[in-house]
Amino acid sequence: MKIYKFTLVFLFTILLSGCEDVINVDLNTAAPKLVIDASIQWRKGTLGNEQKVKLTTTTGFYDTVIPTVSGAVVFITNSDNTTFSFIETPNTGEYFCTDFIPEINETYVLTVVLNGQTYHATETLKSVSELTTITQNDEGGFTGTEIEIKSFFNDPGDADNYYLFQFKSSHAAIPVFDVFEDKFIQGNESFGLYINEDIASGDNLDITVYGISKRYFDYMRKIITVAGGSSGGPFSTPPATVRGNIINSTNSNNFALGYFNLSETDFRNYVIQ
Amino acid sequence: MLITSLLSFSQEKFTISGTISDEKNNETLIGVNLYIPEIKAGITTNEYGFYSISIPKGNYTLQITYLGYETVEETISLEKTIKRNFELNETGEQLDEVIISEKTSTNTRRPEMSVNKLSIGTIKKIPVVLGEVDVLKALLTLPGVTNAGEGQSGFNVRGGGADQNLILLDEATIFNSSHVFGFFSVFNPDAIKDLKLYKGGIPSRYGGRVSSVLEIYQKDGNSNNFSINGGIGLVSSRLLAEGPIVKDKGSFLFAGRGSYAHLFLKLANNPNSAYFYDLNTKLNYKLNTNNNLFLSGYFGRDVFSLNNSFKNTYGNATLNLRWNHLFSDKLFSNLSMIYSDYYYGLDLDLIGFTWESGIKNYNIKYDFKNYITDKVKLNYGINGIYYDFNPGTINPSNTTSGINYRQLEKKYAFEPSIYIDAEQKVSKSLSLSYGLRYSMFYRLGSSTVNLYENNEPVIFNQELQIYEKATPIDTKYFGRNKVIESFNNLEPRMAAAYQLDENQSIKASYNRMTQYLQLISNTASPTPLDIWTPSDSYIKPQILDQVALGYFKNFYDDKYSLEIETFYKKIKNRIDYIDGADLIANEAIEQIILNGEMRAYGLEVLLRKNTGKLSGWIAYTLSRSEQRTPGRNTTETGINNGQWYRSGYDKLHNLSITSSYEFNKEWTFGANFVLQTGQPVTFPNGQYVYQGITIPSYGLRNEDKLPTYHHLDISATYVPKSVKKKTWQGEWVFSIYNLYGRKNAASISFRQNETTGSNEAIRLSIFGIVPGISYNFKF
Repeated sequence: MKIYKFTLVFLFTILLSGCEDVINVDLNTAAPKLVIDASIQWRKGTLGNEQKVKLTTTTGFYDTVIPTVSGAVVFITNSDNTTFSFIETPNTGEYFCTDFIPEINETYVLTVVLNGQTYHATETLKSVSELTTITQNDEGGFTGTEIEIKSFFNDPGDADNYYLFQFKSSHAAIPVFDVFEDKFIQGNESFGLYINEDIASGDNLDITVYGISKRYFDYMRKIITVAGGSSGGPFSTPPATVRGNIINSTNSNNFALGYFNLSETDFRNYVIQ
Repeated sequence: MLITSLLSFSQEKFTISGTISDEKNNETLIGVNLYIPEIKAGITTNEYGFYSISIPKGNYTLQITYLGYETVEETISLEKTIKRNFELNETGEQLDEVIISEKTSTNTRRPEMSVNKLSIGTIKKIPVVLGEVDVLKALLTLPGVTNAGEGQSGFNVRGGGADQNLILLDEATIFNSSHVFGFFSVFNPDAIKDLKLYKGGIPSRYGGRVSSVLEIYQKDGNSNNFSINGGIGLVSSRLLAEGPIVKDKGSFLFAGRGSYAHLFLKLANNPNSAYFYDLNTKLNYKLNTNNNLFLSGYFGRDVFSLNNSFKNTYGNATLNLRWNHLFSDKLFSNLSMIYSDYYYGLDLDLIGFTWESGIKNYNIKYDFKNYITDKVKLNYGINGIYYDFNPGTINPSNTTSGINYRQLEKKYAFEPSIYIDAEQKVSKSLSLSYGLRYSMFYRLGSSTVNLYENNEPVIFNQELQIYEKATPIDTKYFGRNKVIESFNNLEPRMAAAYQLDENQSIKASYNRMTQYLQLISNTASPTPLDIWTPSDSYIKPQILDQVALGYFKNFYDDKYSLEIETFYKKIKNRIDYIDGADLIANEAIEQIILNGEMRAYGLEVLLRKNTGKLSGWIAYTLSRSEQRTPGRNTTETGINNGQWYRSGYDKLHNLSITSSYEFNKEWTFGANFVLQTGQPVTFPNGQYVYQGITIPSYGLRNEDKLPTYHHLDISATYVPKSVKKKTWQGEWVFSIYNLYGRKNAASISFRQNETTGSNEAIRLSIFGIVPGISYNFKF
């Protein structure tokens, strides 16, 4: 239903889009906070043993370099108390594991120890339906001039499912995310939707679908809204820092941002016709 | 007790009563002052142009004054109860273009305060975007009234939300007052007679909203002659026809306004359209001297349609049948049966679904005005409103759609109330008005209500320090018309005016009001799809307490008037939303709402020049509007750490200068200047990267503000000399909105550039310099 609100904002902007300009705004910068980007992805047809966790901090809005965090102890345990260690490639803030064992519906705990503070997060690995067909419509979007890609899947009717779609086009610097729940499509065939007026024939589009938990659905929904840049607009809601599922067990006030998520994923590469 | 003792002391008195109307078209006039200098007493006509005053026998002078009309002075010898109707002549030009003079002077006698009246003539003089005369935009020139900015819907009164205004068009509630988001208002200026905005000291006959009451009266129609008037503008064209059904007995009025099919040029080269239209009707029939019937209706829609993939329709409809009956010369009554609804429909073929939502209400109202003596007037009545809310119906829009049919559970409620108030002249210098409203609210079935542990639909996650939706532990079914939850509130109202001398007075007022309906919206300005919901077991009614104190003065022979008011208000149970709340198609809205509070206070100054070639007013408001949602217990943080934060409509400074200069009979010039503090917003205080995208991080709410908002607008009205009167009369209105092209920020958003990946701040400004031209005619 996100599309619904999007529609309003969209309408408002097309009616008025001649009047947007980039300006400089003096902004304050808060003290840096730890950001834990731990998204465990088990792509269908792979072993899923290679995984990555990235540690960074917040920084000024206009800064071009994102500070990385080195020297942390990072590991994940499963319900059998098997520990999967993540080792940093020195001075990159990227921690890798090569022996991870993914299992559908298994619950995992992430632990990060840094500067005497211990951070924990608990999540369950969710399954996902297979991506089936992909369709392209060159007269799509609201204006009828955009390229519209639909990536179909079949929603299982016996459970409440939550989906995260990632579209990464060779044309754009950043990926586009979209989340939805099966509330209105329970048990039906449905699709992830990507609309872009700039992509052209021959461009590559990477499509990934993630099976996610309800909590991660709520988290990503907020992240997408905040990242979409709708603050201060007529239809904007008061923006706030989005809290994930990471808890500082040493000092709960010194919380970390980011999220520990585990998903089964399916992937398709599509070449624009 | 006070009233009975007054009655028993009264000597032999006679009543003079009647109706005051416009000589030309017999349109009744609202709020005409009738003053009797011998006894220093007066009365104003009611919404139907009726007045009545009971005074001892004797010889009196009646002075009748009304905005833009010639003053009538008549001596009468009152020896028995008499009926006397008056017809007033306009002073100004034709086409209702009167000189700006709201009243010949500020009323220092009556306790009524915090009230602004605007005649349609004045409204038409104010320069506006694209020359499209706009009733709501005119309100923004008054002290204490602001809105979220250009192109945004609704208005905010004394720091209140747009949902807290009761907007009545011929007594029927209008739920969304804007067309095309907020660019234009739904009120066709040609069909409107008068409007009155109550910001405080609200009489007990009004209830149901906590911030303000905007009463808009439609014209009754010319009962003397058939006539047509209209206008052609850049945005829309208007046509109005009115005339007698039976001469001097009944009249009709039909008015239509429609915008052009491609309101914005960007859409013009596609199978797209964006337009709006309004239809207003009014019929009235005088059965005899004691009985009048009125039927009024409104129907308006906005339609957007894009490339067959998207169609959006929304608007209001109202119908009201009224019966005026005079039980005696002293007892006026009106019975109204009112239907009103708001509809929102969306057809999104792209996703394969259609959506419909709305609110319907059925309202019956019986009001009495009892003119007991020249010193005491009583108003009392009863009212019952039944509401039917449709939060949403979802349908698949085509056979291949993956969407399932779904009806979100409808909600029903009944809101009965009774009220009484008295206006009393206690002494030569002291006047009082005091009253009481008893309002009740029943949330009715059928409905399946969620039950939660500890009765808390929102839980606080201690580990993550965030609010989250609770999972219902059970549900309870209530059958049709079974009471799910009920509320009742006593709402005292009072006001006093103390006259220091003939020309100046001080006034004070207090009012308590209750609002049982909530608009589910957490944006600064309402959107067309915002959904109303009734109070229930989890969402409590908003309760307002407001005090205001004012000083009023007329000087230089009433050429100038000054009104200074200060107010403080507090609202309990103002709902707030947990961070990241999803409002759309949410069936358990209680899971994202916390009950908080709101407060606003300020100082308003209104200086007017009422007469002369140059007239107009300067309005300045200094005010603050804040809200707070503390934790329900000490372990919770509340919203925004439980601290007071500025509401989205907090404007510290608000200055508006409206002026009109009558150069000669043909040319009149207008200028309008607005300056106000930028809207409070939350800017990021950092960024981080997650999953390859940049995410801004934020501190506390509304700590920043948009740049100061200001613009200057001018207009010129040209009325060519007509050779023969009574035939075709035309008028040209030229205007320039935002003369110096100020790029006011409607929003500043922060995002990552899709192509470069770097962060940037984007300003959206809506209007540059906008010239406008329109032509109005009458024959």
